Amino acid sequence: MTAVDPVLSVRRLCKRFPVYGGGFRRKIVGEIKAVDDVSFDLVPGEALGLVGESGSGKTTTARCILRAMAPTSGEVRFRLPDGRAVDLARLAERELKVVRQHAQMVFQDPYSSLNPRMTVREIVGEPLVIHGLATGAALDDRVAEMLRRVGLQPEHRERYPHAFSGGQRQRIGIARALIMRPSLIVCDEATSALDMAVQAQVLDLLKELQREFQLTYLFVAHNLDVVRNFCDRVAVMRKGRIVELASAKEIFAAPQHPYTKILLSAVPSPDPDIPMNFNVGEELAKLDAAG
Amino acid sequence: MNFPPDAPLLEVKNLRVSFPGDAGAGGAVQNVSFSLARGRTLALVGESGSGKTVTAHALLRLVPAPGVIEAGRIIFRSRRVGEIDLAHLDEKSGLLFKVRGGLMSLIFQEPMTALSPVHSIGSQIDEAILLHHDVSPAAARRQTLEMLNRVGIAEAARRYTQFPHELSGGLRQRAVIAMALVCRPELLIADEPTTALDMTLQAQILGLIKTLQREIGCAVLLITHDLGVVAQMADDVAVMHRGEIVERGNVRDVLKRPQHAQTRALLAALPSRRGALVG
Repeated sequence: MTAVDPVLSVRRLCKRFPVYGGGFRRKIVGEIKAVDDVSFDLVPGEALGLVGESGSGKTTTARCILRAMAPTSGEVRFRLPDGRAVDLARLAERELKVVRQHAQMVFQDPYSSLNPRMTVREIVGEPLVIHGLATGAALDDRVAEMLRRVGLQPEHRERYPHAFSGGQRQRIGIARALIMRPSLIVCDEATSALDMAVQAQVLDLLKELQREFQLTYLFVAHNLDVVRNFCDRVAVMRKGRIVELASAKEIFAAPQHPYTKILLSAVPSPDPDIPMNFNVGEELAKLDAAG
Repeated sequence: MNFPPDAPLLEVKNLRVSFPGDAGAGGAVQNVSFSLARGRTLALVGESGSGKTVTAHALLRLVPAPGVIEAGRIIFRSRRVGEIDLAHLDEKSGLLFKVRGGLMSLIFQEPMTALSPVHSIGSQIDEAILLHHDVSPAAARRQTLEMLNRVGIAEAARRYTQFPHELSGGLRQRAVIAMALVCRPELLIADEPTTALDMTLQAQILGLIKTLQREIGCAVLLITHDLGVVAQMADDVAVMHRGEIVERGNVRDVLKRPQHAQTRALLAALPSRRGALVG
């Protein structure tokens, strides 16, 4: 990946949260660096995994990139389909709306990310309505087509989210993200709430859609095993920083950073003869002590 | 005791649980039989909806209405109260209350739903002790503090007074484990105990369950959909599919030479085994 211009170029991204004191006046007594000097590129058609423990800053990084929250500093250069590049970190809200057609998010919890009072047709069609891209029969056709594409029956579009299983709901979330034909999809733990078999089906679907629509993925996950075959490259985050970024092959075959090694050792192998590491707690504490 | 010393701790025979009004003709759990020896770990594995959680809840007679145990026996051989058939115990029987939390405990998947939000962590564990043992509140408090230490909760005295929302997910799950094991049950049922946690916390919690199991000497019935967890934790495994056990045996045999299509499908769904299918 040399001559290709990146779709997304993140430079020195930082997000700090204030820490308040216990007193009545809630004085700011410090700050937490949730995202600390994060930089990486995403080339078209690639899937980059962002992995780490809870609290490592991976979700905050993803949210800052799509401006679901404002970063404290740094640059998020996003290339639009017409070739123009914009800095998402600095864009005004009004301009963001246009850009958001091209960068969408799939959320973790299919039970809380879909409005229970909206039918599937309304949920999936809403982005087109908001952006004024389709109405009436055209809207209905596009929703039906997208539902078919993600493996749902278009006849079920008048139903409400509660009538669907977790895996089906995640497909609804994917359909909603894809209906705008975006070039970048940020998946925030998109399969973590699903059981193994359903997770495998959703990952397969995302892979197929990637080929069909030339999608670029930023795939946030705590499970290293999930990114193993799904992602081309993997960035390992710890305490707001990327400690290692390499091809998925290299990360799994020859992890360099001690933190990556600990994360890998915590994955339970389905082979009873490859014992997992139950002592990750002590090893992480040692790593903390070492600085 | 009214049973031979080498008889298994738990024997489930032809268990059938159904929910009236279900579309399917069969039950949520049909004709399920398995046994579990003292101190051993059996994993019940399957996809969501396969009936593994309903089976676990049936053991404690916690199948939610309108679900009913239609047939079968659940023989539990306690060293403390002798052999009982839990399937035929009266709902209001004192023995059932003795079993629940005393002889057989349950760790739920989501610790937040297992804990009361309006009581401190310490008082909830105290309550479990006071319910099952004739001790003073002060003695219960001492036992609770000791148990909090043993499950790896630092600053036990401070945590004792805290409420569930003040604890992280990992600490909450440790508190739930403390509550489940403080009465030294003979059987621990762990229903997806680490599904809501990230990988490093999962490893720590699984390690903790293993250590405490050895210390207390209890058997563990582990409910999970992850064959990786099965391989690392269990001696034996029973694979459930649509309410039935379709394959069972020693973990090594079943995982290395799976016989049933459903077992193979579960193995193929593991992300680490999917290299050939995607990419």
